[in-house]
Amino acid sequence: MSTNRHLIEQEELMAYLDGELPMDRATETLSHLDLCPECRALAADFRGISQELMAWAVEPPEVGISSEINAALDERLQKRETAKVSSPRLENRVMTNRWVWAGALAIVCVAVGLKLTLTSRNRNADRSPAYPSMASIEQYLMPDRNAEIAMARSAAPDSISHDAAVMVLGRQGYETAIEGKNGFVCVVERSWTSPFNSAQFWNPKVRTPACFNPAAARSILPLTIKRTEMVLAGWSKAQMIDSIKAGFDDKELAAPEPGAMCYMMSRAGYLNDAVGHFVPHLMFYFPPTDKSSWGADLPDSPVTLNPQFQGGPEPITEFVVPVGKWSDGTVAPVM
Amino acid sequence: MTSDEALMLEFQGGSRAAFEELFARYRKPLYGFFGRRLNNPERAEDLTQETFLAVIRAASRYEPRASVRTYLYGIALKLLAAERRKFLTSSTFGQSASEPKTDGTPECVLWVRQAMEKLDTQEREILMLREYEQLSYSEISGLLRIPVNTVRSRLFRSRLALKSYLESEAKTNPSLRPSAGPPHSGGRGVQ
Repeated sequence: MSTNRHLIEQEELMAYLDGELPMDRATETLSHLDLCPECRALAADFRGISQELMAWAVEPPEVGISSEINAALDERLQKRETAKVSSPRLENRVMTNRWVWAGALAIVCVAVGLKLTLTSRNRNADRSPAYPSMASIEQYLMPDRNAEIAMARSAAPDSISHDAAVMVLGRQGYETAIEGKNGFVCVVERSWTSPFNSAQFWNPKVRTPACFNPAAARSILPLTIKRTEMVLAGWSKAQMIDSIKAGFDDKELAAPEPGAMCYMMSRAGYLNDAVGHFVPHLMFYFPPTDKSSWGADLPDSPVTLNPQFQGGPEPITEFVVPVGKWSDGTVAPVM
Repeated sequence: MTSDEALMLEFQGGSRAAFEELFARYRKPLYGFFGRRLNNPERAEDLTQETFLAVIRAASRYEPRASVRTYLYGIALKLLAAERRKFLTSSTFGQSASEPKTDGTPECVLWVRQAMEKLDTQEREILMLREYEQLSYSEISGLLRIPVNTVRSRLFRSRLALKSYLESEAKTNPSLRPSAGPPHSGGRGVQ
């Protein structure tokens, strides 16, 4: 396989399967895979190797924390307790000497002042990237329509997304690129589906492949489409919030239908700067629901309450459940 | 779900429950780490427990700059290296530290072990850290102190070597191969 004939090298293909390519390159790879049977075969080989290696499972015996560990734990925790008890005495001694205290305070002030002076020049460089306003529309569009279709489909396993409708983002909003047969709709969402107060709301790097089941395609996808239309029309956040509230009041926008859910199992996505590709997961939508009814966010519970709609104008509760594999069947990292 | 790093900080602050949660999360992965590399269940269990002992002893030195996962595998790699050194200096029987115990082992596992044995030592380690411990390239790079590009190229070489081995075995001894099917069983490709 020469690089002259292929847009990607074999090693890059492997890195793509490992979720190790930057998003733009991952998108190109995904698009190339759609067109290149030779690379698809190699990708299948890599996946096959990983699957075969998984046969080597190692099960630990059923034993708990050893007595040695328990003893070490007791010793460490006891030492901490002792330190806690003894430190107030030290503190009292220091506090009684106001000259010592005042001197220490002066030293701290000088040190802090010096530190501020030295670091002020670099402060902007250290700051996380911020997206205070909308970038140019070009930065949110994907120039390669086939790449966007492939990325949208990668949200769900092929058995689902192959017959799904696919929508792609154009300058006027989402448009249908492929008609579906099974009622599912796959799209690549952009940053403005984040909460309105999110620092990522205008992050042009965000590409979130999602494949909505029929119930969600009817009741949740319209929210993405509406937000997108408002964003592209240049509305302010306040205007968008008011319009969404009015939409629900006027029944133009509907509550989540029973059974509404969405697949987000793509390894090619970029959800935000904090989590990158994140982990493959499913999302379930409800009218406002107490998270305890799903055991969400409890210790060891795999279910979490997604903040996407919390405090927002949409009266929706969204639960997230991570799954163990990407849509292509490869094993995903542990969350 | 509380993050590993938050649990570690809670443990630093004196929480036994936080340690027990970390133990519950990582005992099995760490046992797998040692189990696959030593093929000795007793030592795998001992070293798993020793890893947690090291965590307890060094808890005050942990800084949340590194993920707990990498931190634990860093300790595990050091213990493994010490174990191998110990074995090499004490062994008088010419037996390899990683010589597999094959009693009752399914054929598909034997096949994987045989294939792994054929790899260069460091390539095998990189492949195992990626496939079994699910570490990222940069995490592996940090643990083994080699550049990320080296991780990627060695991983690539090891996978190609496995692919080649797999194909030759399929030709010469089709009954030994595991049930996963031929290399091209992946279907329509990545979608």
